[in-house]
Amino acid sequence: MEENQKGKEHPLSIVINDAVKIFTDLGFEVASGPELEDEWHNFDALNMPKDHPARDMQDTFWIKGQNGKVLRTHTSNVQIRYMENLTRSGKKPPFAVISIGKCFRNEATDATHEMQFYQIEGLMIGEDISMANLKGILSHFYKKMLGEDTNLRFRPSFFPFTEPSIEFDLKYKGNWIEMGGAGMVHPKVLENCGIDGSKYQGLAFGPGLERLMVIKYIMPDIRPAYHGDLRFNQI
Amino acid sequence: MLISYNWLQNYFEEKLPEPEKVAEEVTFHSFEVEEMDKVENDTIFDIKILPDRAHDCLSHWGVAKEISAIFDLEIKNKEYKTFTPKPTELKIEIQDNKCLRYMGRIVKNIKIGESPDWLKNKLNTIGQKSINNIIDAANFVMFDLGQPIHCFDLDKLESSKIIIRNGKIGEKITTLDKKEVNLDNSILIIADERDPLAIAGIKGGDKAEVDSNTKNIVIEVANFNPTTTRKTSKKIGISTDAVKRYENEITPELCEKVMNAITDMIYALAGGEMEEIVDIYPQKTEQRIVLISINYINKRLGSNFSKEEIESVWKKLNFGYKEKDKEFEIKIPFLRIDITGPHDLVEEVIRILGYNRIEEKLPKDGPWGNSLKDRPLINEIFYKMLWARNKLLTDGYSEIMTYVFRDKGEVEVLASASDKKFLRNNLSDGLKESIKLNQLNIPLLDMDEIKVFEIGTIFTKNGEEIHVAYGDKKEIKEINLDKFVNEKLSSEVHGYFSVEKFLVLGSTASQGTSEETSHSLTNSRPFKMWSLYPFITRDIAVWVPEGTAPEKLIEIYKSFGTELLIKEPKLFDSFTKIIDGKEKTSFAYRLVFQADDRTLTDEEINVIMTNITNKVLSLGFEVR
Repeated sequence: MEENQKGKEHPLSIVINDAVKIFTDLGFEVASGPELEDEWHNFDALNMPKDHPARDMQDTFWIKGQNGKVLRTHTSNVQIRYMENLTRSGKKPPFAVISIGKCFRNEATDATHEMQFYQIEGLMIGEDISMANLKGILSHFYKKMLGEDTNLRFRPSFFPFTEPSIEFDLKYKGNWIEMGGAGMVHPKVLENCGIDGSKYQGLAFGPGLERLMVIKYIMPDIRPAYHGDLRFNQI
Repeated sequence: MLISYNWLQNYFEEKLPEPEKVAEEVTFHSFEVEEMDKVENDTIFDIKILPDRAHDCLSHWGVAKEISAIFDLEIKNKEYKTFTPKPTELKIEIQDNKCLRYMGRIVKNIKIGESPDWLKNKLNTIGQKSINNIIDAANFVMFDLGQPIHCFDLDKLESSKIIIRNGKIGEKITTLDKKEVNLDNSILIIADERDPLAIAGIKGGDKAEVDSNTKNIVIEVANFNPTTTRKTSKKIGISTDAVKRYENEITPELCEKVMNAITDMIYALAGGEMEEIVDIYPQKTEQRIVLISINYINKRLGSNFSKEEIESVWKKLNFGYKEKDKEFEIKIPFLRIDITGPHDLVEEVIRILGYNRIEEKLPKDGPWGNSLKDRPLINEIFYKMLWARNKLLTDGYSEIMTYVFRDKGEVEVLASASDKKFLRNNLSDGLKESIKLNQLNIPLLDMDEIKVFEIGTIFTKNGEEIHVAYGDKKEIKEINLDKFVNEKLSSEVHGYFSVEKFLVLGSTASQGTSEETSHSLTNSRPFKMWSLYPFITRDIAVWVPEGTAPEKLIEIYKSFGTELLIKEPKLFDSFTKIIDGKEKTSFAYRLVFQADDRTLTDEEINVIMTNITNKVLSLGFEVR
């Protein structure tokens, strides 16, 4: 046996690390936050009040016996925690941050949906960070990931924490593929974290990473990613 | 929501663009058209109306207004019949402020009956069943204008008085579909002077049901508090098209237009004598005014739109506006509850002008400029995970990710779509299963032994924690991430560097990844899904004269192994011996066979092995 046979990487992990590299090269810092979250950081602070139909947009796992605790439905909770800390420490924008982490949705699984998935959350706030910057950054990211021959387009959508909100599609190998949601951070979200929403503005995005992995490596199904099967580590 | 193309067409004099074109433009300017179905001579769109537009677009009228703005087509002016109504005895009393407006109208001597074919057909195309002309009219107007309507049989009421009040404990109502609901004082109901008639905004009761003998009716066009309607609906487990509209909030201002529309339609379908409308509207909604400047719009969008372009959007959306000191003062239509400030108007501008007008611009100055210098770029948790990962990979462990959901643990989720309701409280259990699985597959893996690791969150009664677990078939170790880094680090650098120092040193490199982990940016060898059928292994050992290259054997195995031989033959044993005075070498290879589409049989592999053996013998080698 060779003593120093290197272990094999998980493809999703490769995608995650590449994503981090691309964004940190652009000046983003990395942030992290809990997977088991409270309602404030997962919903309320993100402009999704209790008893609002917008909460139905995400099938949520609630925790038994722990009132108001959820498995985070997105990494957007990290936005809130990051901005709250910033304000608490007396700092102000500009800043740019990404967070990659596991999220959970209480829905049936199939070849393209899992109950657990990775999201990459980006947040950039300044005095004049614009929607054109959002398009520029996302486009830069996917070109680095998948090659120059990709194209990005926006479609109107709705998320309570961004305004305008968009879904974006990527043209890759001749097909348009739905990649994720993004938008300009809703001024209320900034205010909820103690940031002046009339002075500062910025962008946020949160596409899933499994989709990116699947199209990059041409995988038929995302489920084997979580089976602990080393045949998956072939990249 | 299901929307009929022909129904939309009724809103316009001009011919609408083809359904495909409508679907495409609506998707890029308003909301996603998820499906399109051709039904007879109509096309039905399934449009995904998200909560921000559920105030004004859960209706054909709402979608027609979008189409009007997108294609710059004018909506026909709709005139309702004017009646000289008769005096009424109807009395309405609102006892609770969960009812925001209540309009009622008595219509006497109607002719109840079947609906005409055009109406049955229209309802049918959007999946609604026809009941009778009165109920159908109410349904039609709801899907047309977005406001729920209810009709009661006046003669079944205790008197001509309608009371909107909270339910009482012990009180019950049987709904139109014969479901008994226990009421309490959080549930708003519509009642006569004795009994509940309907659960406000949710479902009618059977007491005052309109049936084939009904002659006199009360039409209800009302508005209820969205939050309490939603809560009640969840509590009693009844969701209806009415709930969907009320819980998303619709403006009480809509009642008037809708009362006119439904009166008109009932008169046309069932005749009758119209009485005066009774309208209780305790607190009139104020029209919202929003100020917005061209500069604000362009700054948020990163665009350079002219005043004329922006003005064209207000016109297309039919927003009243005037200019005031370089700003637009926009009168927001009552139905557009979603527009609360200038940020919302920015979205209106860009979606109408088109998101394709947004350029791609990487920010030049800003967050990554000088102002960031005093901030740490390093995230300690992320960096530690990365370090632990690289350490384990270097030590020969392969990385796995397993499910967070398991069938036992300390933290449980409610109402899971899966049967695994617990969150893992360790990584070792998943690791153990992975090792077992991979151990069985070892001939497929190009590995001498199975060594795996996972870095991930575990959940205990005390909260969550990031763990590192690694091991092989003999032993699994699991440890907190911080401890792992501390231990491994100090043993490596003999305690000279603290973790803090290590992290500071780390920050001089790009956060994240070493060059070698980013190989995927350049290399994109496609992934190959494995066969789900079992594999068969066969070992073959052959004596060859000393000095014979083993490649010679490999060549034979590969060409006679057929496409069922899925791995490179693996040499697992070789030794040299003197036999009958000649030096000979034995090479033992393991061959792995598997098919993509079936379970292989021993017989077919036997045939392959016989072919291989014959070839080997024909070259004068000896099979052991």
